[in-house]
Amino acid sequence: MNPDILDGFAQASMMSSLIATGIGSLLGLVVGMIPGMTISTGIIIVLPLTFVLEPTISIALLLGLYVSGMTGGSFSAILLNIPGTPSASATGLDGHPLAQRGEAGRALGLAITASFIGGMFSFAGLFLIAPLLAEIALRFQSPDLFSLVFFGLTIICSFAAKSVIKGLLSAVIGLMIVTIGQDPMMGSQRFTFGQVNLIAGIHFLTALIGLFAIPQLVDNFVELIGDKETRHKATRIERVLPRWADLKRIRLPVCIGAPVGAFLGILPGAGGPIAAFISYDYTKRVSKNRDEFGKGAPEGIAAPESANNAVTGGALVPMMTLGIPGDPVTAILIGALLIHGLAPGPLLFVENGGFAFGVIFSFMYANFFNIVIGFLGLRLLVKVLATPNALLMPTIALLCVIGSYALRNNFFDVYVMFGFGLLGLAMRWLDMPVVPLLLALVLGRPLEEHLRVSLASSQGDPTIFFTSPFSVVFLGMAALSIFWSFYAEHRSRRESNGATRQ
Amino acid sequence: MRRRNLIAAIFLLAIGIGYTVLTAHLPTRDIGSTTQPSFFPWVIAVLFLVLSAALLIQGLRPATGDAVPKAPDVAPNKYLWGGVAFVVYLAALPTLGFLAANVPFFLALMYLYGERRPLWLLGGSIGISLALFFLFRKVFQILLPSGILSGVIS
Repeated sequence: MNPDILDGFAQASMMSSLIATGIGSLLGLVVGMIPGMTISTGIIIVLPLTFVLEPTISIALLLGLYVSGMTGGSFSAILLNIPGTPSASATGLDGHPLAQRGEAGRALGLAITASFIGGMFSFAGLFLIAPLLAEIALRFQSPDLFSLVFFGLTIICSFAAKSVIKGLLSAVIGLMIVTIGQDPMMGSQRFTFGQVNLIAGIHFLTALIGLFAIPQLVDNFVELIGDKETRHKATRIERVLPRWADLKRIRLPVCIGAPVGAFLGILPGAGGPIAAFISYDYTKRVSKNRDEFGKGAPEGIAAPESANNAVTGGALVPMMTLGIPGDPVTAILIGALLIHGLAPGPLLFVENGGFAFGVIFSFMYANFFNIVIGFLGLRLLVKVLATPNALLMPTIALLCVIGSYALRNNFFDVYVMFGFGLLGLAMRWLDMPVVPLLLALVLGRPLEEHLRVSLASSQGDPTIFFTSPFSVVFLGMAALSIFWSFYAEHRSRRESNGATRQ
Repeated sequence: MRRRNLIAAIFLLAIGIGYTVLTAHLPTRDIGSTTQPSFFPWVIAVLFLVLSAALLIQGLRPATGDAVPKAPDVAPNKYLWGGVAFVVYLAALPTLGFLAANVPFFLALMYLYGERRPLWLLGGSIGISLALFFLFRKVFQILLPSGILSGVIS
């Protein structure tokens, strides 16, 4: 057996890593459950902690939060019909009607079980695919890597935006921000305006905190959780463990949801909500009980829940093997690794194989903690739904400021974070997605480096990007993804115009 | 939505032109076949201007049935005071230090998020600010400046 696998298992099984995974899972369930709090915000809250922890422990904590955040989102979707995370929207379609019939515990139990199965399926996928993909990726040269990163960016833009132009513009704004600071090839200063703090560039995590947390604080001026009475009523739960008959009913939905979620997770930008709705829709078509869908069908809970948790393992595949984040959370994970001097990508498996497998096994443990804490602590956890925004939101605000400061012990980063918060609000007003900007901040530097290294090696000849089959395939897929997005946008506009005329 | 696109496109075009001018003034180096430091910014500038122009054209086209996102039902004063609280807090932070600045900021935010009970306002703002400050300073060893309280806090 590969010694890195054993080393990774040992790293993930250390008591400190297990405690971190457990704490992460607990926080994830809480964060995911609170409407208006996203998993990204939850990760931002614990981010300062990761600066002082060992990389293995940091990543275990963040993975626990990521995995359980997905499950936690379904709790409020089921109990209050308000999804805690966008990925849980489909779960509420059947989960809430079941809760309204007085079977909230049954619905929650099914959600936790399906999440676990989806998560473990994607763990198996991650364990088997990631090392193989990393091995292939080791053969990539600079032109291939440029084309790959470029493809990653375009597919994210097309998935993340209703308008392709706005998605692409958002990514280009991110690339503009990346050019601030030292040029990666020669160290020349660009756009620093004599400001010493800008020489090292804008820290990606500072931008992330502002882009995600400040709009969230503004959003939560509106109380999303409903009145106090509804909240307290929602926290009363009966039997949680699923019955044998229910487990038999969810066999097919989880067999659909888990592979769909794991596959869509691998595609950058596709994410949990798409996987959950596709699985829900497909399960409904093939189910014998399709008439019960929308009225509290267990299948309607299991399919989206297994799918959105399977997305997490899928999203880790491109992040770990290619250094391409599939969603904001994996982008933050890349940031957290970079802080510790670990660059995700194919070399991670060569230079830090033990650590890479440690991440994979921590992901497995996160799924175990998710089901254990979910079942044992559910009755206590749902009490969090009664936490008032008046305590929660100011705490998040302080943690954002502390987190930005702690990155480089610099007040300048706090101001930058606030600036990015305003940018995030402006972009939302303009209906422009922030995710492409965020991912461009992560991918911009490697994009420039690979582009310029390739051109330098070819004496400035751009045909170098068409000399390798890998590069040609990636560029072709990038062109296809842009073309398809424009076509889909055009078609949806035509359909909506037709509907308006009718 | 069309009007917003139009405003966005004009604003973005202005930024794009500014970025292009700055790119044109970036230093050049005599480095043989290697690309100049301004190479990537030039690529971005061109892309940005093209995309902004495309958004402008979209904005100029006659309006269709695009849905305008509904603004949440919140008093505009809340946004304003929230912004003011944040700006004042950030301005005072380097002088006052984290603890002394956090307490009134936390209290102001609690009030804006709807808390009106004086005891909760005081207890929450002092208690949580203190807890966070010492958690990061003592447990996580992140040296948060204590500002005007530096003589009091070890």
